[in-house]
Amino acid sequence: MAIIETNHLSKKYGNVMRVDDLRLRVPEGAIYGFLGPNGAGKSTTLKMILGLARPTAGDITVFGTPMTRRNRLTILKQIGSLIESPSYYGHLTGEENLRIVQTMRGVPAQHIREVLEIVRLADQKDKRVAHYSLGMKQRLGLAAALLGYPRLLILDEPTNGLDPAGIQEMRALIKTLPERFGMTVVVSSHLLSEIDQMADHVGIIREGELVYQDTLAALHSRSAHHLALRTTDNRQVQRLLRGQRMAVSLENEWLILPLLSDDDTMALCRLLTGEGIGLLRLEEREKSLEDIFLELTGRAVSL
Amino acid sequence: MKGLRLEFYKCRRRKIFLLYVGVLIFQFLWVGMSLKDMDATELVSGWQWLLYTLSLTDCFILPLAVATLASRNVEIEHKGGTLKLLETLTTPKKLYRAKLLWGAVMLAVLVLVRSGAFIVLGYWENFGGAMPWQMLGRFTLISWLVSMMLYLLQLGLSLRYANQAIAIIVGIAGGFLGLMSLFFPGTLRLLLPWSYYGALASSGMSWDAATSTVNYFWLSPNTRDLVLLFAWMLVFYVVGRTLFVRKEV
Repeated sequence: MAIIETNHLSKKYGNVMRVDDLRLRVPEGAIYGFLGPNGAGKSTTLKMILGLARPTAGDITVFGTPMTRRNRLTILKQIGSLIESPSYYGHLTGEENLRIVQTMRGVPAQHIREVLEIVRLADQKDKRVAHYSLGMKQRLGLAAALLGYPRLLILDEPTNGLDPAGIQEMRALIKTLPERFGMTVVVSSHLLSEIDQMADHVGIIREGELVYQDTLAALHSRSAHHLALRTTDNRQVQRLLRGQRMAVSLENEWLILPLLSDDDTMALCRLLTGEGIGLLRLEEREKSLEDIFLELTGRAVSL
Repeated sequence: MKGLRLEFYKCRRRKIFLLYVGVLIFQFLWVGMSLKDMDATELVSGWQWLLYTLSLTDCFILPLAVATLASRNVEIEHKGGTLKLLETLTTPKKLYRAKLLWGAVMLAVLVLVRSGAFIVLGYWENFGGAMPWQMLGRFTLISWLVSMMLYLLQLGLSLRYANQAIAIIVGIAGGFLGLMSLFFPGTLRLLLPWSYYGALASSGMSWDAATSTVNYFWLSPNTRDLVLLFAWMLVFYVVGRTLFVRKEV
């Protein structure tokens, strides 16, 4: 079952379409990585799902219920969120900040202690949040989102501005949530590597359009191996191989071929020698996830 | 009530009592300095003089105090980027209502404490005649109502603009306008929301040039001015609340 479904979801600011005809499907129990460059429309989409921004068009279904103005808060009772930078009252302590959210959510007071333990802020709970580091503020934001143990957690760039240790810590924390508490997590980022290390499903957005949505494994399967070849006469080799019905393309002075068996590779070398063409380089290559990401987002640009 | 309780909780350590202290010090100094030069004959109409003087100082100090009060409450939301969290937990309408109620309670406490303090002063200084409870009550109520009208304006501004300097500048400018408005003709005065402390004053003063004497007398607010006060309140409430509710965070 999809925890979040959006259909034709769009948001226009002035004449600019920030989110365009988005069809998201977030499966239950997943860590869904919502990936896209800065300004692609990730935050706007997440804000629309939380009812903080009104869609220009389209609809949103959460937990199988179409979201309306009337039922928005009822649905949001089961959602924890951390949007952009963490929200906090600097003059209050960490515990006091959580007390406000706990009172508004109407969840038991003991949850405060528990979530402080989960995000490892229990020792710092009496310190004013203004004196927290950014990483601690971010963890406090996560603690606030965890209050009441919601079914769905929406985290918008939760590692933004953190140092490498903080990123590592936040990432490890997020990864444990579906297993420990049965939560579905939507986490946005502009960093592919981050989503790669955290998520099991991925949606890629570029200039408001969803350009890819599937499991991360399916995205990885796109990174097929191939051979790259450079010779003294690439054009002649291309003609020869096409004559033998082999898929071959020329990219930046390199001939790109599908991965060949050892026997076929030997046959290729013999063919080149027989034609008097010198073999300069022969490499086995794998398309990186970055390449696929650029390819996907680049395609959207050309659209 | 949960929302109102949380507004008080959120304003812990905001040192809002200093605002009360500031208003009281300003008015006590003003009244005290004038009182020093008064003789026993002038103190016969002490209560009328006191309420007249307080209305005068209210014109200047309360717009600034109200602007600061609203700003102290709303600033914490902008500073900590909390609206995007709060609006996933409650509606903007309920949030606005809680802030409005908080302001109403805080201003009620301010005017009641102020009136209480000056009643003690009047009693101490042996102001003439019986204690004018009705006029003191009316003066306190009008101070609160005019302050609430300005609070609605300031709350709207503070919520709309994250930069609180805008709301504070309006409060300061309003204070000066309110003071100057005492010299404006009646109808022009009613166009300025900050002038209502003076326009609805509970006592007035007349100067007799021939005898060089000052007379103080009780005043009753006229219905037109009260209706206009409520009209301003309604305008500031509807506009401020609508802008806040419609604003996407």
